[in-house]
Amino acid sequence: MSSPTMSSPTMSSPTMSKPLLTVSDIHTYYGDSYVLQGVSLTLHKGQIAAILGRNGMGKTTLIRSVAGLTPPRTGDIVYRDISLRGKPPYAIAQAGIAIVPQGRRIFRSLSVRENLMLPTSVLARSSRASNGRQTGQRWDFDEVLKEFPQLAERIDHPGGSLSGGEQQMLSIGRALMANPEMILMDEPSEGLSPRLVLQAQEIMRRLRARGHAILLVEQNLELALSVADEVYVLSSGRFVFHGTPAELAKATQVLDQHLGVSGAKMI
Amino acid sequence: MRRYRVILALTALAAALIVPLVAGQFWMTLITQIYIYGLLALSVDLLLGHAGLYSLCQASFFAVAAYTTAILEVRYGYPTLVAAPAGLVAGTLLAVLYGCAVRTRGVYFILITIALGYIIWGAVYRWASFTGGDNGITNVPPPSVAGVSIASQTTYYYFVLGVVILCAFGYRILIRSPFGLSLRGIKGSESRMQSLGYRTTMHLYAAFVISGAIASLAGVLYVYYNRFINPVAASFQISVEVSLMAIVGGSGTIVGPFIGAGIFLGLRNWVSSFFEMHTAVMGIVFIATVLWAPSGIAGFIGRWRGDGAKTKDRP
Repeated sequence: MSSPTMSSPTMSSPTMSKPLLTVSDIHTYYGDSYVLQGVSLTLHKGQIAAILGRNGMGKTTLIRSVAGLTPPRTGDIVYRDISLRGKPPYAIAQAGIAIVPQGRRIFRSLSVRENLMLPTSVLARSSRASNGRQTGQRWDFDEVLKEFPQLAERIDHPGGSLSGGEQQMLSIGRALMANPEMILMDEPSEGLSPRLVLQAQEIMRRLRARGHAILLVEQNLELALSVADEVYVLSSGRFVFHGTPAELAKATQVLDQHLGVSGAKMI
Repeated sequence: MRRYRVILALTALAAALIVPLVAGQFWMTLITQIYIYGLLALSVDLLLGHAGLYSLCQASFFAVAAYTTAILEVRYGYPTLVAAPAGLVAGTLLAVLYGCAVRTRGVYFILITIALGYIIWGAVYRWASFTGGDNGITNVPPPSVAGVSIASQTTYYYFVLGVVILCAFGYRILIRSPFGLSLRGIKGSESRMQSLGYRTTMHLYAAFVISGAIASLAGVLYVYYNRFINPVAASFQISVEVSLMAIVGGSGTIVGPFIGAGIFLGLRNWVSSFFEMHTAVMGIVFIATVLWAPSGIAGFIGRWRGDGAKTKDRP
């Protein structure tokens, strides 16, 4: 947050405005292994970009690179004109990026209420960062509980006592409580029943309608194609495809070689 | 359940208030000692039970505060109103310095705090010209404020009780504040807390300094209680024992460290009167706690009373 001057993107259609997030040619190592080998992408306000790929291709590392948990060795990540390079995770969170981590990593020993209140604490917010943020979307406790009524019933239970689906809702609800402009979602559908996958899909659409940008990492091709505006396919640390969901559905060679599905099954 | 707790707390308070009237000198001084060690164990538990940091240098803050007060009183003749706050400040300043240990985590944090603890122990033990070496500092006068000396052990008992109750209330406010929630979150997962916007290292540092300040307060209370201080107060053994008190009594609670201190000091006094290897008995008590009451005596009582419904479904 070295430069407090944050330009407000124009109000025109999202694709015309300046991107919210620009990842330029990042190379990220996980210990000694060279995971992301030059990845670039852009994401606009109110858009969902899905990152697809098999296990071990670097999808989670991409999320962790943006969140500052595994900083890239070279390349740059720019969020609303601010370079996130070298910024610690807490500063990135305060700038308006929330993460829904893989495997619903909620705080098991804290109550549902405490889990939800964590991002709103004065200790987690920097006034400088939130002042400049343009928020067409204001989430608060009541609003989140309205979105996830299951949580309201168990509000004072420890997070660890919730079912898998409820934990996922809590994880998303917790991210919303920070009023982020951008949400990084790491396989939100993992381990959810088909009914809950539909609910997750609904939620993502509503979040997009409210102006949130979502960087979605998914293994569930159907889910990703149904919500995403843009799709990237990651293979061995590089993007091998970038296009719209409709384009991907036709790219049988990419589907077959990098995602392990035959194009025929898709349609 | 809340009413039950209030009644329990009032009963405990009433019992604490009548101790000097019904119990003899021996019991009263033992219980004073339990309050002081309980406070020290409480300082350990802010890090252990809430933030998930295992600090093994709490005796350093305790001892530096106690030595500072003792030296100012005995060597330089400063009044209590100077010597006691100076002890508190000296111990807290050491915590400000030693707080750099929070840059490390896990086993490295434990090892660094052990090493830091040995520095203070070595200094008070070897710097004999200043600290009295092995003999320590003797003849610390009773605390006196505005010409009134608290020479009576009964008065000092009530004074310590008052300080401990104030600390317990302050501690309760602290752990229920957003800061306390932040510490428990960090104990759950530090990286997740960072991704929620928490500058976790700063929070752990603050917790370390607050913990050091509480330990220093216990040190000042101790030196006026004991009227004597020697290098044992700075030893690794004290740091370990107070951690065990917190664990046995019930880590993560306020009464737990005091219950633990009561069990340890009570057993030591009782067992050592007829059995030389009383430390072995302590070890067995500790192992039994870990096996059968892993959340300590306070946690065990809580479960037995039936509010375990909440904790039971925790995996």
